[in-house]
Amino acid sequence: MNRAFACAAILLFGATMTLSQTNSQEPDRTRRPGPQPVPHVALPAIQKAKLANGLAVWLVEKHKLPLVAMSLVIQSGADQDPARKPGVATMTAELLDAGTGSRDVLQIAEELEFLGASMSFRANTDASVGNAVTLTKHLDRTLALFADILTNPVFPEKEFERIRTQRVTSLLQQRDRAAIVASNALMHVMYGTLHPYGNDASGTEASLKSMTRNDIVAFYKASYRPGNATLIVVGDIAMNDLLPRIEKSFAGWEQAQVALRVPPDVLPAQRRVVYLIDKPGAPQSEIRIGYPALARSTPDYFPVSVMNRILGGQFSSRINLNLREKRGYTYGARSAFIFLKHPGPFMASGGFVSAKTDSSVEQLVAEIKRMHAEGITAEELAFAKKGMTGAFALNFETQAQVANTLQNLVLYGLPDDYYATYLQNIDGVTLEDVRRVAAAYLNPDAMAILVVGDAKLVKPGLEKLNLGPVVMLDTEGQAIP
Amino acid sequence: MRTPLPLLGGLLMSATLAATAQQPAVTFDRYSLDNGLTVILQEDHSAPVAAVLVMYHVGSKNEKPGRTGFAHLFEHVMFKGSEHVADGEHFRLLQEIGANINGSTTEDRTNYFEVVPSNEVELALYLESDRMGYLLPAVNQAKLDNQRDVVKNERRQNYDNQPYGTAYEKITGALYPPEHPYSWPVIGSMDDLSAASLDDVKGFFRTYYAPNNAVVVVAGDINAVQTREWVEKYFGGIPRGKAIERPNPPLPVLPADVRLVAEDEVQLPRLFLTWHEAPRGTREDAVADVLASILSSGKSSRLYRALVLDQQIAQNVDASADGSEIAGTMSIEITAKPQRTLAEMEKGVNAVLDEVLSHGVTEKEVQAALNGEEAQLVARLSTVLGRANGLATFQLLEGDASKYSKEFDRFAGITPGEVHALAQKIFGSHKVVLSIVPRGKRELSADPAVPQKKETPQ
Repeated sequence: MNRAFACAAILLFGATMTLSQTNSQEPDRTRRPGPQPVPHVALPAIQKAKLANGLAVWLVEKHKLPLVAMSLVIQSGADQDPARKPGVATMTAELLDAGTGSRDVLQIAEELEFLGASMSFRANTDASVGNAVTLTKHLDRTLALFADILTNPVFPEKEFERIRTQRVTSLLQQRDRAAIVASNALMHVMYGTLHPYGNDASGTEASLKSMTRNDIVAFYKASYRPGNATLIVVGDIAMNDLLPRIEKSFAGWEQAQVALRVPPDVLPAQRRVVYLIDKPGAPQSEIRIGYPALARSTPDYFPVSVMNRILGGQFSSRINLNLREKRGYTYGARSAFIFLKHPGPFMASGGFVSAKTDSSVEQLVAEIKRMHAEGITAEELAFAKKGMTGAFALNFETQAQVANTLQNLVLYGLPDDYYATYLQNIDGVTLEDVRRVAAAYLNPDAMAILVVGDAKLVKPGLEKLNLGPVVMLDTEGQAIP
Repeated sequence: MRTPLPLLGGLLMSATLAATAQQPAVTFDRYSLDNGLTVILQEDHSAPVAAVLVMYHVGSKNEKPGRTGFAHLFEHVMFKGSEHVADGEHFRLLQEIGANINGSTTEDRTNYFEVVPSNEVELALYLESDRMGYLLPAVNQAKLDNQRDVVKNERRQNYDNQPYGTAYEKITGALYPPEHPYSWPVIGSMDDLSAASLDDVKGFFRTYYAPNNAVVVVAGDINAVQTREWVEKYFGGIPRGKAIERPNPPLPVLPADVRLVAEDEVQLPRLFLTWHEAPRGTREDAVADVLASILSSGKSSRLYRALVLDQQIAQNVDASADGSEIAGTMSIEITAKPQRTLAEMEKGVNAVLDEVLSHGVTEKEVQAALNGEEAQLVARLSTVLGRANGLATFQLLEGDASKYSKEFDRFAGITPGEVHALAQKIFGSHKVVLSIVPRGKRELSADPAVPQKKETPQ
């Protein structure tokens, strides 16, 4: 007790000292500090090589930490799932490390754990990707294991069955998570089941139950070929050290022609429909508003990105400031154009307090309508462009970030000077560009409005909004007759 | 014990170097302003970015009864402007320069950060200093009410509308005595959030948001001399606050097992087993990390292999050790496959734990866990934000930022015997066993006979 009192006395004495010193030196706080000269953003210098079997190798050296990150990008994702068999691409990726010609599932796991390396094998709509991160000192063993998993998988029947059962159970668990139910159901109503984007990439109960090990083997053989792949390496290694190691690990990977299928055309939405999935007693409604929009290849990528940054792409966006900071209906609301290989969706989303479900839908639609009709102001344009320019410097800090930027170049066939011309492209966006893309690509009259919430509580309000017919769906996004 | 230390200094140093050969050093300058603010500058020019991070030594454990969730609600109010920064302007100014912005609250500390292009450090320091020195003139009832609504929505979104989302508050409520500050959740209860007043905001700010209760870290592509001048300019005039009384209850001991059953909107039942373990920064907490990793990290770990891979009775299983400032927990969570009960899960977990208790763990398992730990410690140095947060955390919660780059020391030389002894200590002590089951399916719980605890409606 005594000690504490002594301390307090000294602290109080210090406080009076500081107070008397400071009033005179306090800076003029009404003046905002300006920036220092703009720092140079060193773009990743990409070194490229190609193995005899066609495998492209891209390297960016980064020597600050003793780490090497590798990503093997296969240009086939869930978009290449066989018709009516969603889930094959993601199952194939997940089963890669379930056994190889020389290692069983436990040997792989033990080796990985002993190296302290991390690896993951996943597929999304556009690609299948294997990632590995290792300390440089373990690179040889990690690379050998990584290549073995990617080029010699045997897909053991027992592991196939185990993962399939696990997935059917995961689908069941997904029903508990309103945010996932909402996003999946929206994709389903926007794209239908014939387009790969309309299905859950991890599969449906029906597709998982009808899937066989042969489907996995066939997908692997058709897609995992060196000519359909790029190995991206970022980290603490030079090309002359790296290439012989990659030759050694990947040279045996057999080449074959890969024919990529193009999914059916996406039909644009024709009218506005409100879909409602009942979650009795839910304290919040998860709301999604969207329609199929743009592919990554759109020439309007930059003006659309600027426009969305103002609409719902950051904290200080119209949607978030209105729904969160002004009205307090939500912890956060946003919008995004999800640019994919094929036309991806526009989506506005958030979780909103149940009692304000109709008002939240109304405000979201109003913000989309206002943007569609008016575009943005000169001040907003400057705000968005300056922000995107500043944020550019933040994109190349870590190995994972650099690997990710390289993945974008690989996957979407962007030009080599894409990042070198990025700031110029942002700077070139005009008010007229934004007005034009807002009018062309925002579609307030033909959107799917999907709500997962307590139907008893929220349905009357949604009907009263008169935005379109209200259709009840089950948790899988199927209409309830 | 204390006297020989200075003599051993040289020897300890060389042993340390050998053990941490792969943990890169993080060099920094550290000093204090006259008002007690600790400042850490970590210069590193590998990318043109910098992190400005302010951490206050206050969290939910400093809350008063009836005001749970207040430290976090206060964090939200800190983003609503200060005397010289209008409502909305903090975000607008920072998003205009492309910054990455956020804040977070734990039981022990609250942080605020901006990752900025490195030519904008001064703006970030200005904004942080304005809310440290001049928050109260800008606070009003409307801002408090708005953020109260936002936080209630955060609670709905991340706890109440999430499967198993309220499990942790049920567990901590049973694991700690009610007067222990870790017994309530950081997010707080809806009632307490409703009760928070402007006077609470003012009192909390005056007590805890003083420079002598904070550390400012600037990490990245900075000029340390220039940054030092800015820090003095913007933070130097903020008056020191009073000395802070910190809760320091004895390490909690659970006198008997507590078994709870709750129903939730879930498809599958999940069992949560939780024990006390040591606070952060201790050797015991490091050994507990190794034990947790041996139990559930990777497919060949003990619990995963037995229950998910071989027997296939569980959908997933996870063990984790979490050391906080004044206590720690070891927990195991396991989700049953359809048609399986939590009694079966408990039996399966116990069989694995019994094996560890009788025969210990292997040298190879310990080495694998240490290798994984080493890789993680290196990887989290890769961002300016990670380094800034790490330095601030070690400075505030362990009294010395330099412990950050020596963290692997705590793991050096851990033996299978040490892991075995700790497993016996932890798993031999009392625990909280919580069953979360689908509505109306109490027969799936580990304790079908335990009556459900009456819940206060949110």
